[in-house]
Amino acid sequence: MSPLSRLFSPFVSAVAACRARWLATPAALLLFSAAVSAQEVTKRWGPTEPVSTYGHRFDSLFNLITLLISVSFFIVLILLLVPVIRDRAKPGKRASFDHGNSLHDKRFTAIVSVIVFIVLDALVLVIAMRDLREGFWNDPLPNDPEVVRVEVLGQQWSWNFRLAGTDGEFGTPDDIITINELTIPVDRPIDMNLTSKDVIHSFFLPDMRVKRDANPGAVNEMWFESMATGSFAILCAELCGFAHYQMHGEVHVLSEADYDAWEAEASRLALLGYDENDAEAQWAWAWQE
Amino acid sequence: MTRQTLLSTCLLLSLAGLTQATAWPAYQDDDEHATAAVEHPPHTRAPGEIDVSITADDWVRAPGEDWFETMAEQFPDRFSYSEEAAEYTDEDGVGEGDFEGGWIDAKGEYVFRYDIEEDEFAYWQKISAKRLTSGRTLFVQYCASCHGFTGDGYGRSAQHLRPPPRSFHQSNFKFTHVIAGNLPSDDALTELILNGLDGTPMYPWALQDNQVRDIVQYIKTLSPPERGWRDVYAEIADVVDIGEDPFANDPAAGAERGAEVYHLRGCYNCHPGYLSPDEIAGIAGNPPRDDFTYPKIVPDSGYEVLGYAVSILPPDFTWHTIRRGKTASDIAHTVAAGIGGAGMPQWKGSISDEEIWAMGHYVRSLIDDYHGQPAKRAAFMATLRN
Ligand code: HEC
Ligand code: HEC
Repeated sequence: MSPLSRLFSPFVSAVAACRARWLATPAALLLFSAAVSAQEVTKRWGPTEPVSTYGHRFDSLFNLITLLISVSFFIVLILLLVPVIRDRAKPGKRASFDHGNSLHDKRFTAIVSVIVFIVLDALVLVIAMRDLREGFWNDPLPNDPEVVRVEVLGQQWSWNFRLAGTDGEFGTPDDIITINELTIPVDRPIDMNLTSKDVIHSFFLPDMRVKRDANPGAVNEMWFESMATGSFAILCAELCGFAHYQMHGEVHVLSEADYDAWEAEASRLALLGYDENDAEAQWAWAWQE
Repeated sequence: MTRQTLLSTCLLLSLAGLTQATAWPAYQDDDEHATAAVEHPPHTRAPGEIDVSITADDWVRAPGEDWFETMAEQFPDRFSYSEEAAEYTDEDGVGEGDFEGGWIDAKGEYVFRYDIEEDEFAYWQKISAKRLTSGRTLFVQYCASCHGFTGDGYGRSAQHLRPPPRSFHQSNFKFTHVIAGNLPSDDALTELILNGLDGTPMYPWALQDNQVRDIVQYIKTLSPPERGWRDVYAEIADVVDIGEDPFANDPAAGAERGAEVYHLRGCYNCHPGYLSPDEIAGIAGNPPRDDFTYPKIVPDSGYEVLGYAVSILPPDFTWHTIRRGKTASDIAHTVAAGIGGAGMPQWKGSISDEEIWAMGHYVRSLIDDYHGQPAKRAAFMATLRN
């Protein structure tokens, strides 16, 4: 027997075992209901459609991993069940223990591990690195006029946002400051600087498939670009205290024209509400590229 | 294929994968990014070691006669009126035998007491050490990050926050629906804590009844001597009474009436006006200020942060999120009670309850029609601005 056919012999016997009708019917039912409920579950509790330009990369990687581990899970399951059923004690035959110490067993194990490593880990790692490089790490250029910059200051238990306003400069009276609500334009790269006042938070936009920690004392960056208008969730993805569960908000993605009008008005209102003597209310920092 | 070739191909492939995978982009090593720190002003209230256990009972001011009357109806065995509830004592603590009539609590939680220095009678409430410990524990867990470990409104997460978290040392409240200048009753405070304040980090706190009760009792003891709940002259009031909603069956009619009252009563002096200048002149007798479609900042705030009185922009109802205005009733109560210290006057008493309710419906209709819809709002405001 060649090593390959030896490798697959358990599957053959598994199929053979399935010929027993008492096993085949429940197995088919089980598989069918699992497939149906998996679909139902994803629809109801699964992730929403990705909205950002690189969001689909996350989803395809996620699906690939799910597929790979599901397949290997079933292979392992079959490898386990077949001998248990085939070689169980029967009238006139006792089950026997075997530690599998032969050279053949060792080689078999080694080959399977290497294949599993390549198919699962290395493959996933390579794809993930490619996606990171082409997506998440591929930040917009510093002098790109299309970029909208946002300073995000996390705190127990809110997100403070600062947009530069019409003058494009941070730390000026027309900066638009909002709490738990972020307004941004569609189809333009949004570049973010994240930090925190108190403890570690994690800025999470599930629909944009992006998440990054906000750490006190340091500025982290992230970017994304929304492809759709609408309102999407903002969450904190790092347990940050007793009211962590309350720490959520909304990002409103407006069309380009709506955003320009919104920004002009918000900037104007910010200017009206600005109190130059209230130094303690200022928290902008120098933008980090 | 021999076993050896198969094995070595696998190994080579995985090595190739690893080298590919570990090729990090250059800026990951750029340590400027890793260490760039944000300058924050120093915290005046870093927590240090937090002690939550309180060993002594505490005394705070209790509400007046009216409250005892309603309580006596509910618990006739516990509360009774006595002609000799409080006794004068002179400086040496010797009773002078002169009595003042008041309510007596059989459980001894509430007492009617005479204050020698101020020459004033007042009801006081005893809060047990056990309850205070529970209240302080919950306060430290849920509230102290903003309101400060001592309740001074300057917790670690409070810096830069506008509006600032309330300082419980000032014992000034904005949105409890209690006439400005009075202290809110326990019920009014509880309502506020359960409702939260929209558009601020002051969330609706989903705590259990007994937890909120303990926090409320603890907050009262944060008043400094002779202020807030330790002031013999303090009046503790319940939510302002503006009767039944006359427009309950026809909110649209209320909103229409409210538009008139709103502009007649000059709300647009601070908040924006929402009618054309001619219409406003027709209602109010003279034309509005030039930039009447924008709010005007009111600097005379009674709310201090580190000694500085902050100013809060009066909200434009079609743009800003208002704090406690989920329903027309909420808004009507806020308008009636006023926002003490924030420049927003109390209207209960100066105008009729019907007018107050009408404005509640009007402001609510502005929010429903335009808030969160920038395009629709811009079109509406444009009709007023030219
Ligand atoms: C994340 C910050 C934060 C936390 C945590 C917080 N608050 Fe507040 N709180 C605020 C802010 C900000 C305001 C002022 C809002 C305003 O003036 O518009 C406020 C106001 C208040 C007020 C005064 C309202 C008024 O009418 O003037 C009370 C009472 C209050 N908070 C109680 C609590 C209690 C009790 C807790 C804990 C269960 C708590 N807060 C937790 C931020 C916070
Ligand atoms: C002297 C200026 C001034 C006038 C006049 C005034 N307000 Fe205000 N009003 C304010 C300020 C300041 C605030 C914001 C307070 C805050 O959020 O701290 C406010 C807030 C409000 C709110 C929001 C309450 C909430 O829950 O956030 C309502 C509703 C309101 N005003 C209604 C009215 C109405 C109706 C009138 C006219 C009868 C009026 N105001 C007149 C200054 C004013």
